[in-house]
Amino acid sequence: MIAIEARGLTKKFGNFTAVDNLNLTVEAGLAFGLLGPNGAGKTTTIRMITGLIKPTAGTVKVYGHDVSSERSKVIEKIGYMPQKFGLYEDLTVEENMVLFGRLYGLSKSDSLQRSRELMEFLDLKEFRNRLAGKLSGGTKQRLALAVALIHDPLLLILDEPTAGVDPPIRRQFWEIFRDLNRKGKTILLTTHYMDEAENCDKLALMSSGRIIAEGSPSEVKRKAFGGDIVEIVLSKPINIDLQGVKVMEAGDGRMKLLVDDYSARVSQIIARFGPDLRDIRPVHVSLEEAFIKLMRG
Amino acid sequence: MKFTAVVEKELRQLIRDPKTVFMVLLMPIILTILFGYGYGGRTSFPIAIVNMDQKTGGYTLSDQLRNMFDVKAYARTREEAVELVRKGRVYAAVVIPKGFTEDMIAGRMTSLEVIYDASEPVVAQSIMQMVGVIVLQFEIWASEKFKTFSISPLFYSVYGPGAERVENFLPVLMGTLLQLVPTSLISVSVCRERERGTFEQFAMTPASRFDIILGKLVAYFIATISDVFLTILIAMLLFGVQFRGGMLDLMLLSSIFLVCSLSMGLLISVLSKNQLQAYQASIFAFIPSMLFSGMFTPVNLLSDVAKIIGHSLPLYYYLDAFKAIAFKGMNLQLLTYDLEVILIFTIIFSILSMDLLRMRVE
Ligand SMILES: Nc1ncnc2c1ncn2[C@@H]1O[C@H](COP(=O)(O)OP(=O)(O)O)[C@@H](O)[C@H]1O
Ligand SMILES: [Mg+2]
Repeated sequence: MIAIEARGLTKKFGNFTAVDNLNLTVEAGLAFGLLGPNGAGKTTTIRMITGLIKPTAGTVKVYGHDVSSERSKVIEKIGYMPQKFGLYEDLTVEENMVLFGRLYGLSKSDSLQRSRELMEFLDLKEFRNRLAGKLSGGTKQRLALAVALIHDPLLLILDEPTAGVDPPIRRQFWEIFRDLNRKGKTILLTTHYMDEAENCDKLALMSSGRIIAEGSPSEVKRKAFGGDIVEIVLSKPINIDLQGVKVMEAGDGRMKLLVDDYSARVSQIIARFGPDLRDIRPVHVSLEEAFIKLMRG
Repeated sequence: MKFTAVVEKELRQLIRDPKTVFMVLLMPIILTILFGYGYGGRTSFPIAIVNMDQKTGGYTLSDQLRNMFDVKAYARTREEAVELVRKGRVYAAVVIPKGFTEDMIAGRMTSLEVIYDASEPVVAQSIMQMVGVIVLQFEIWASEKFKTFSISPLFYSVYGPGAERVENFLPVLMGTLLQLVPTSLISVSVCRERERGTFEQFAMTPASRFDIILGKLVAYFIATISDVFLTILIAMLLFGVQFRGGMLDLMLLSSIFLVCSLSMGLLISVLSKNQLQAYQASIFAFIPSMLFSGMFTPVNLLSDVAKIIGHSLPLYYYLDAFKAIAFKGMNLQLLTYDLEVILIFTIIFSILSMDLLRMRVE
């Protein structure tokens, strides 16, 4: 099933094009990451998907419903957590949750019930009566997530849910996200932390309003370099003339190769060099390196 | 009924904000009391004495009163004394009855009337206590000298000029309470939500902007109208302001004008970029209302231009109707013209603001 389908999505602010003819397909049940530096157009894209702003051109469908013409159906499906904390700082954790539950049409008691469940799930119980404005960054984000979950939506759209949050708490967030995935929920999130993006099932790398690469983290990396990077150590210099293998760097015996598909070529390489091959290992590339490579073209 | 959730939320936020609580709930009450007391405390209490006894007993008591009070006047009759209190020349008058000395010598029980200004409740309280002390001392002195003697003080209340001060101040207070306070409250609150991004979370729920607006309107209506009620109550009970017209008419008129002010606040909020602008615009809209709607200067003393400005503002019609009901005893049915104008303003403000209101921030 397709959770989000965007076609030709474009947003212009005056002369400036923040999102440029973007196509995006998010399959249901995945954690999909929209990755890119500040100003890439992630928030703008997300706001068009939620229907908070109208696209200059293009269409978005959420679980098959058109965002502009069937917004009420779309709203039911989406739990949204904005980049900027958008809850009431002068209301308590519980009051915020109950309020939004009621705005989704739950009765007061149902809303309270649901809030209690979510406080349990997200470890918010001890903050129940604390004013939202008095919460720490991580707890605030958990509250925002709780409010996004209050009507049990299928799709969670989280704009930088872990921005400004310490790494251990970020890991905790990812456990929650995975838990939600297991419950059948789709997550679309944005981040500018490249390391965090490794956790996503699928990624779309954004830069200047465009998607420059898409796929699972390893696919994205392979696309960036045109293959897998392998380091080999040879006992003597040998000319390399294998199909699908290119030399990137050559030192005295130690070489970096670019292989179109490591898992397919590894046996050929071993067979070709035989006993002269002292060592062979794939080189781990970070998404950051991939991103930089992609940006340089 | 999603808006009821908004009403609750707004009232909660309202009582949690000390500045707002002060502005909405306390300021009008404090102002009424300040005005009623003619600004500030008293150290000496001017009183009058009516000595109908004109013998030893009466003179001795007068002497003792002089020690404690600033005796400003001596009246010959009770009526004269009442008039002095009513005009605010003195806060109280003590009437020593005829035959006071005979009663004292014979040890017969007698009475002492204290006429006090009930529009100065704190002063009245002090005076009563002081008179009590003097009476006790006098009883002891007389009982030692003659026979056991007791005086029972009788207190009689008269409303002095405090009532009039409050009465004159009431239109000013009502104008502030029903225009400045609600317009600034609602416009600032809408702008705050827009600025903080809370409207965005709202916009992702099935609640419509009407739920939110209605919720805000109802919450601020409840807060402000209970304040109006309290203020009127204080004016009546504490200062003895006499309303000639019906309380229900007064509350109904105030409610309608309050809705008008709230819709004006909404319009201000959609026209302002931020909270500060909304607040300034609310004050700015209030200034001509204050100057030209008969709050301070009676309308017939204004220049023609000022009159025209005054007449083009809703507050003028409210104050006109308020004074007519409160002090002329008219009822609301006779004031349909004022009501109609206020309603027209309300409709215009509401339509404009509803049309312009965008919760989604581009
Ligand atoms: N309302 C707006 N008006 C004008 N420019 C905007 C507006 N919103 C976003 N932009 C611009 O669009 C670009 C993309 O912004 P955004 O989507 O917020 O990026 P990201 O979320 O990836 O950091 C930025 O250059 C930003 O300045
Ligand atoms: Mg952003």
